[in-house]
Amino acid sequence: MSGPIELAPWQIGAAAALVLVNGGLSIWLKLGLERTLAVASVRSVVQLALLGVVLEPVFAAENPWLVGAICLAMVGLASRAAAQRSSRGFPGMTRSTLLALLLSAGSTAVLGTAAILQVDPWWEPRYLIPMLGMILGNGLTGISLGLDRCLQQLDEHRDRVDAILAFGASPAEAARPVVAEALRAGMIPILNSMSVVGLVTIPGMMTGQILGGTPPLQAAAYQMLILFLIAAATGLGALVSIQLAVRAVFDDAGRLRPERISGPTRA
Amino acid sequence: MERFAAQGLSRSVDDRVLFRDVSLYLEPGQTLVVTGPSGSGKTLLLRGLAGLAPLDAGLLTLGGRGPEEIGWQQWRRRVLFVGQDPPVHPGTPQEFWARIQALAVDCRPLGDPLAIAQGWALPRSTWARPWSELSGGERQRAALATALAADPDVLLLDEPTSALDEGATGAVEESLRGRTSVWITHDTGQAARAGEQRLQLGGAS
Repeated sequence: MSGPIELAPWQIGAAAALVLVNGGLSIWLKLGLERTLAVASVRSVVQLALLGVVLEPVFAAENPWLVGAICLAMVGLASRAAAQRSSRGFPGMTRSTLLALLLSAGSTAVLGTAAILQVDPWWEPRYLIPMLGMILGNGLTGISLGLDRCLQQLDEHRDRVDAILAFGASPAEAARPVVAEALRAGMIPILNSMSVVGLVTIPGMMTGQILGGTPPLQAAAYQMLILFLIAAATGLGALVSIQLAVRAVFDDAGRLRPERISGPTRA
Repeated sequence: MERFAAQGLSRSVDDRVLFRDVSLYLEPGQTLVVTGPSGSGKTLLLRGLAGLAPLDAGLLTLGGRGPEEIGWQQWRRRVLFVGQDPPVHPGTPQEFWARIQALAVDCRPLGDPLAIAQGWALPRSTWARPWSELSGGERQRAALATALAADPDVLLLDEPTSALDEGATGAVEESLRGRTSVWITHDTGQAARAGEQRLQLGGAS
């Protein structure tokens, strides 16, 4: 089996040229998409090149503090994105998603490198950073979907929550059906992709590994590992962030305070 | 059953004063009827008394003890609010009742809401049908029977018979006689039948 084919700039250019066809179609059909398409193409080149440029020295430096700083920055950006993607918010939301992602993505990524892959040292950037990135990317979707459903339910069905609170339910008891449904909403994407993976889709990571020269069976094994880590992190992250959201919208007397939920109904 | 008192209750919403310095006292078994135009804060007053909505000022006591002392969860259970348009929960009234039975809060032994509602022409079979298929009147009776079965010290009722016909209204009023309760009603006949005390809220002030 041959090793990976080194890509030269002209090859990227050739692939990008194919997007020009889309641009041409957009102009011909007056879709008005050509600008967006151009901006998106340029962005993906710049962002990915930047990522590569940053990762090269980080991989070479083997400095745990540098790796730690990059991981923290990744978690920070992901938690902001998770909070922004939810259509409703609550006070302290970004802090909650940060805590949820630190706990869930952080612990599963470290568990993955240290205990499962047994990389030495466990913070070896070549493993930790891409793994954390995969987990964060999926985890933040789960968290934002879970939070969105949780806040939507508490906002739209406050009468249901009040009706059981009136009988002396604790906030946790009153919010239990909401938490269960929100957790399900947060887990659905990863559960769906786990059940169709390999049948309908070949995941991006596995594709990359195969193109990079890894034997397919080995690439499949890695894909399984990462899927399970993602599922674990998504479930844990969604649970933590949903619990923090519930805490934030009930007050000290255990009353539901829907006015603390910001979002579409109360702009 | 103990004396229920509220002193100096006030609440504003967005700088609009809904009520200010409202006080009320109920001896066991007494009924107070709250009247006032729509938007005068009647429902918010009841929700405030129940510990479901915050008040800006005021003191609540049951048998001389406040909600902090009794515990808010216990307070809400003992000073129980029933909304005018009971929510369409997922599942059936029976499942809702099962959730109430499973709550951890300390409480009196529970009665049988199905038996109570049967006296209001709500058949037992209704309890096994989903909330979403029940009419407003059926939901109202199921919610009210559930509250009565919890045997609270005080019942706070927001237009408890607004969706009921005359016969059912009479039966409900009969079951509630002798219960310490605060009612919101627009029905002047009902106000006269039920209330020993009156509280008028709002107006143009």
